[in-house]
Amino acid sequence: MSLFVLSIGFGLITASILAIASVGFTLQFGVTNILNLAYGDVMTGAAFIAYLVTRAGGSLWAALLAGAITGSLASYVLNRFLYTPFVRHGTRLFGMIIVTISVSLVLQNGLQAIFGASFFSLVLPRTASYGFAGMIFTGQQLLIMGIAVVAMAVVHSLLSYTRLGRAMRATAADPELARGCGVATDRVVGVAWLMSGALCGIAGVTLVMNVTSFSSTTGGSFLIPVVAAAVLGGVGHPYGAMIGALVIGLASEVSAAFVNPAYKEVVAFGVLVVVLLVRPQGIFAEIATQKEVVA
Amino acid sequence: MSTAMQFYVSNLLVYLGVDVMACLGLNLQFGVAGIVNFAFIIFQAAGAYTAAVLTLGSSSAGGGFQSYIGGARLPFPVPFLAAAVVGGLLSLLVGLVALRKLRTDYQAMVMLVISLIATTVATNATGLVNGSNGLATIPKPLQSVLGLSLVGYQWVYVAITFAFCALVWVGVHRITSSPLGRTLRAVRDNEAAAGALGKNVTVLRLVAFVTGGAIAGLSGAILVQFISAWSPGSWLFPESFVYFAALIVGGSGNNVGAAVGALLVPVAFLESTRYIPQFGYPGLVDALQWVVVGLLTLTVMWFRPKGVFPERPGRFARRAQVP
Repeated sequence: MSLFVLSIGFGLITASILAIASVGFTLQFGVTNILNLAYGDVMTGAAFIAYLVTRAGGSLWAALLAGAITGSLASYVLNRFLYTPFVRHGTRLFGMIIVTISVSLVLQNGLQAIFGASFFSLVLPRTASYGFAGMIFTGQQLLIMGIAVVAMAVVHSLLSYTRLGRAMRATAADPELARGCGVATDRVVGVAWLMSGALCGIAGVTLVMNVTSFSSTTGGSFLIPVVAAAVLGGVGHPYGAMIGALVIGLASEVSAAFVNPAYKEVVAFGVLVVVLLVRPQGIFAEIATQKEVVA
Repeated sequence: MSTAMQFYVSNLLVYLGVDVMACLGLNLQFGVAGIVNFAFIIFQAAGAYTAAVLTLGSSSAGGGFQSYIGGARLPFPVPFLAAAVVGGLLSLLVGLVALRKLRTDYQAMVMLVISLIATTVATNATGLVNGSNGLATIPKPLQSVLGLSLVGYQWVYVAITFAFCALVWVGVHRITSSPLGRTLRAVRDNEAAAGALGKNVTVLRLVAFVTGGAIAGLSGAILVQFISAWSPGSWLFPESFVYFAALIVGGSGNNVGAAVGALLVPVAFLESTRYIPQFGYPGLVDALQWVVVGLLTLTVMWFRPKGVFPERPGRFARRAQVP
């Protein structure tokens, strides 16, 4: 039983990181309908910048900020100067997948070429452990969960209570109509990528905060659970992504406690495949199944 | 040619044959039928493992240093054919589950995930195909029977590869140039219209998928019997992407394009550069190679989205004038 409770604790941490990442991923997809498979590698890039900051003596907060800025700018540049031109050039759904995979290859191997094929870890102060109802967390893990909660609250209030959030939802639902109603969709898309990029960067830093070491492939291999969480909740739907993250995070960590931990990702992926086959639109049905990419 | 040169050239030719076969198989699935099979490499791997297990003999024979399911020592063409059958059967299984009505990008995700699950299972279930170490000391077909020198045998293997390659080419060409091929293209271009004309979309897709899978299995078998070793590390997801890159560069939907793509991407970029002197730390050249493959794909996607040899538009015989 205690093993079960303990694994729920691990699951909550994984779910927190997943939630930050998959909400960012799903925002990009919701607004532009581009399945950005280079997302994981942007996460890795942010993690490397955070690593450089901590090695230079910067605090964890400085590292998080640097990671968020890196992710934000990198995502904006990718969309503005690569994805959007390709879509305007006439590249469709499948073509965009190939484009984003190519970008992923370039980023991942570019990072490997720069930093080398070895393992790195953030230089972090040691913190005490806290026990809570049979679960054990380090100070940093509590911080990760705190960041996730704050990030979710910010995303929620932005989407629900601001003009920008309304414009974003309008653009996601029907870009033509939104443009017709006077929404500057170009700017909205730009802001959406800046924002989701910041989430991507923060997710990258929190991901490597929680592991002992990372390499140029860390973000890329974390991408599939991220996509799984986003798709589970219905791609383009931020609240769905939060719930999806919780399900995938808990399912993978709790199953790791009872079956061979090597298979924990198989469990997460299995959930994704089953959901896609049974309910392709995700838990929250909102996105039409025939939507095309928009620029 | 010096002996070393002969080894080099014959190696490349075998790789070329294998990659051309694989690209033809994937072209049938993706280029002609429009199935985004990001799990392509696992069908090649399934064929490779089948051929390996069917030539290695029983698991305890080689001192029992590697464990795997089954184990037999079958004569030359049988393991290859069995590999094709297994590739096809596995495709049938995956196809029945995954070839539902899904958006292209979701289907691609399902295939990608299937590929990752397969890698994880094969790596961790050691009893299946020896886990992450993979299988080694796989015997080469006819080597003991022919009694040739090592170089001589290399050329025999080139001949075997090319023979199978020609067979695959003829088979695929007959499909793509037949009414079946046209129907598959119709399903790819407009599923609803093809369905409305009474074509069974699911069965048609399945036919292309299973045929492509069988070809993938065969290509894997030929590769594994040549290099005599195979482990999960050599069939990770990026390997599938290499074949996709080849099709995109060469021209998907066009068999000549697929073959040229196989020559340009996997062979020219990833195999021949193996002999460039290494510089920097170990792994730097590999990383840069992948960067180049990514950039090459992006460039082609921008400037020639239909590839070097685009699919030829359909030609129709002039109709007789209706009076």
